[in-house]
Amino acid sequence: MQIQYKTQRLSLRFFMLMLVLFGFQVIYGMILAAQQVDPTLLSGVLNFNVARAEHLNLGIMWIVCGFIGSILFVGPLLSKREMVAPWLIKFLFYAVIVIVLWNFFTQFLAERGVAGWWLDQPWLQQGLEYLEAGRIAGILIFVGFAIVAFVVLRTFPPIRQWNEVHWGLGLGFTALMVVWVFGLFYIQRLDLQEYFRWFVVHYWVEGVWEVIHISLIGTFLVLMFKADIKSVGFAVFWGITLVWLSGLIGNAHHYFWIGTPEFWQFWGSLFSALEPLPLVFCFWHIYLDAHTNKRPLENAPAFYFLLGSTVLELVGAGILGFVMTFALTNVWSHGTWVTAGHAHLALFGTFGMLGLAAAYYAMPIIRKVPHYDQRLGKLGFWLVFTGVLGLAFAFSIGGTVQVYVYRILGLDWFGGDIYRSMGVFKLMLPIFGLVFVAGALTIMYDLITLGQRVQTPAGTFDHDVTADRRVTGWRKPLTGFEAGIWLLWMWVFGTVITLGLLSFNLPRVRVDGDPTLPYLLAGVGYPGLLLVTMLFVWRFLASMEARMAVAGEPTTADDAMVPNLV
Amino acid sequence: MSCGAGDSSCEIPRRRGAFVMLGVMTAIFIFLSVFSFTRSRNQTVPSQITYGAYTADQGKHIFQAYNCMGCHTLVGNGAYLGPDLTEEYRLAGPAWLAAFLPSAGGWPTEAAVRTQLVNPGMQAEAGVDTIEAYLKKYPGAADRIARRGGGTTSMPNLPFTQEEIGKLLAYLKYTSAMNTEGWPAKILVKGDLNDRLRMAHGAGFTPTGGQVAPAAAVPTEAAATPEDPAVHGERLARDYGCIACHASDKQKLVGPGWGGLYGSQVKLSDGTSVTADDAYITESIVKPNAQIVDGYTPGVMPDYSTLLKEDEVKAIVSYIASLRGQEKQ
Repeated sequence: MQIQYKTQRLSLRFFMLMLVLFGFQVIYGMILAAQQVDPTLLSGVLNFNVARAEHLNLGIMWIVCGFIGSILFVGPLLSKREMVAPWLIKFLFYAVIVIVLWNFFTQFLAERGVAGWWLDQPWLQQGLEYLEAGRIAGILIFVGFAIVAFVVLRTFPPIRQWNEVHWGLGLGFTALMVVWVFGLFYIQRLDLQEYFRWFVVHYWVEGVWEVIHISLIGTFLVLMFKADIKSVGFAVFWGITLVWLSGLIGNAHHYFWIGTPEFWQFWGSLFSALEPLPLVFCFWHIYLDAHTNKRPLENAPAFYFLLGSTVLELVGAGILGFVMTFALTNVWSHGTWVTAGHAHLALFGTFGMLGLAAAYYAMPIIRKVPHYDQRLGKLGFWLVFTGVLGLAFAFSIGGTVQVYVYRILGLDWFGGDIYRSMGVFKLMLPIFGLVFVAGALTIMYDLITLGQRVQTPAGTFDHDVTADRRVTGWRKPLTGFEAGIWLLWMWVFGTVITLGLLSFNLPRVRVDGDPTLPYLLAGVGYPGLLLVTMLFVWRFLASMEARMAVAGEPTTADDAMVPNLV
Repeated sequence: MSCGAGDSSCEIPRRRGAFVMLGVMTAIFIFLSVFSFTRSRNQTVPSQITYGAYTADQGKHIFQAYNCMGCHTLVGNGAYLGPDLTEEYRLAGPAWLAAFLPSAGGWPTEAAVRTQLVNPGMQAEAGVDTIEAYLKKYPGAADRIARRGGGTTSMPNLPFTQEEIGKLLAYLKYTSAMNTEGWPAKILVKGDLNDRLRMAHGAGFTPTGGQVAPAAAVPTEAAATPEDPAVHGERLARDYGCIACHASDKQKLVGPGWGGLYGSQVKLSDGTSVTADDAYITESIVKPNAQIVDGYTPGVMPDYSTLLKEDEVKAIVSYIASLRGQEKQ
């Protein structure tokens, strides 16, 4: 496949920026991991809260860069014309860099207690989780989102001709801008401030990003398997509909303990329990789309990350979110490391991997190296995948210990009692962090130097190893039945984890102080879930790779086939 | 289902149906939201709470400015490096917090909390006027002093001014007063602190062991007399929490460092200079606001005239004098 529209090339710079910001975010992650082990590290120079603010903000920024890069690449294909106002897109690119640098410096002011209060608004930094950027950066970011929404909507065909993907991306990029507004006001009441903060955080992730995610996954599957957009339209429609119908009131799961009334516990437990539905749906569809279509995998790393994104969305966002969505389990998980396990898998897994998938799909095409050496990309995938699963494991189990010591025993001395109990799991953070860093560096090196390294002749990658092996056992085609069994096991372990959190309510734990049951269930549930996830992805990819061995190199007839996106 | 995949004739009614459902959900959500913040809910709001001259809203400005949420949680939201702060005011009380915050790198001793209780404003806010009554009313403070007092913390020293601390206390007083629907859950576990510590760390755990200095008891005369006054002074400085604000070298924590101070020329805020002799240092302890060093704010250091006996002041002065050579940063 070749670039059909000039403006598709603009996506390249956003993918590069994404990779650079990803790199910095990972460095901050390592610093935070080291500070978890030794909280006095860099004290007074780079305090934990400043590093964490950067870690979160860079995460948001590079995910958004991935979205922008993706829409610039697929936008012209979806519209059968060039993106409008390329100068505006170029301006946006430099604006993003300026905002990131500005925010980098202003976050340090938190160490001096300077927020830049003027007209009762914090202009320099505002010290709210995820929304740490001050009002100046916040308004600039709003303008940036407005530019993106404008460019997307103006490029798209007239609304009558929209298919489901147009609807998903059109609504998604507009909502990206609209939802951000709720974070641009100082609010006196803590309960009301948290109420609106979750408007931004929850509705972004659950309402906007996920909609963009589903639409882009659909689009890239169509591009990769040279299918017709109609074949994913159904999935995209139901995905988006279920996300919004469950997620809108599902936001209530953030309103259990912030000072809002008790009735939210009912609404939140009910509706957010439905939130995994679209994710199961999307998960099932990536199986169908990849397996009903028997085409060989041309760009393995791009598909690896696409699959990783869908599976980790189900496991990280869906299952690990589900376990703590009930008031009776959330009362324990809330405000502990348990939530951090969910957040890392869900945010990097779902959205980060989507950006990386898009970069792996688009960059070889833009740089005209369609048959590039895919080994580094695959290696990078397995390293970050293992790393992030490991981080989720450390956070979840460490969090379970934290719940027991902090919330059941009521020991509130973090330095003396909590750290002491969580020690092993704290140590796991930098260890799995290093695995993750190795993967991130591999991916960055691979993508940034793509097409500039010595070319490996086509066909020498790993097809030669697989070509004469028979496609049996672990590598045989994945049937729907088998995929269903894998999915079932994930939910079995998810149920075990849920029961583990529920068991903190038992008098045996709460009154007698015996942690055996929650520890046992967490000790079975988390490793089980994460292991099944890993094995499933391995199995899925093995069956895809085997197909490549059977089909051999893509033929010219394959190259001539064009996906239909309109 | 009559509308199969890819059947475009069904797309428009399906889409319409989805938008209608979404509208219904939004209506429910807005209805619930309005009821969450009406006055009949009786939730505490910042405008009802003051601490001394400060309002809870002023405190929220400070809380956000220092990005406290980047290490701590508040109503469970934030980061998980340090403890949740929602109920900290109710548990540890204003005097403990006021003793802790100026030099968050060290845990306050009982003497340091007692120093805070000398202030009539603090007595009014705490609702008690003796340390014994305070520790009874705020069991969290008693725990903290007993196990951590005088030790070092994991928190960095932040450059809080006295005014900012007052505002923060107003904010934490507000969050403590909020109704958070039973979160965090009540501790129901059987047994006392030592039992719970053994449950956490194993049966062999000795609660008083570890890196923590023993609780700061008022030094007895018998122990004090035979000692070298400088050594006695050093212990007093630790017990009374002086070292939380004053470093033993030249470093500025909250107040001036003591290293190399004795005998040096000190520049005062009125522009004059004075030699740091016994009389000057003694006056700085018992009447800290009489002469303010250039660059520092009056009213930060409590008045120790009623807390320390004359010979104790003398011992601390001789401890400071013994630090003459320690000018290293």
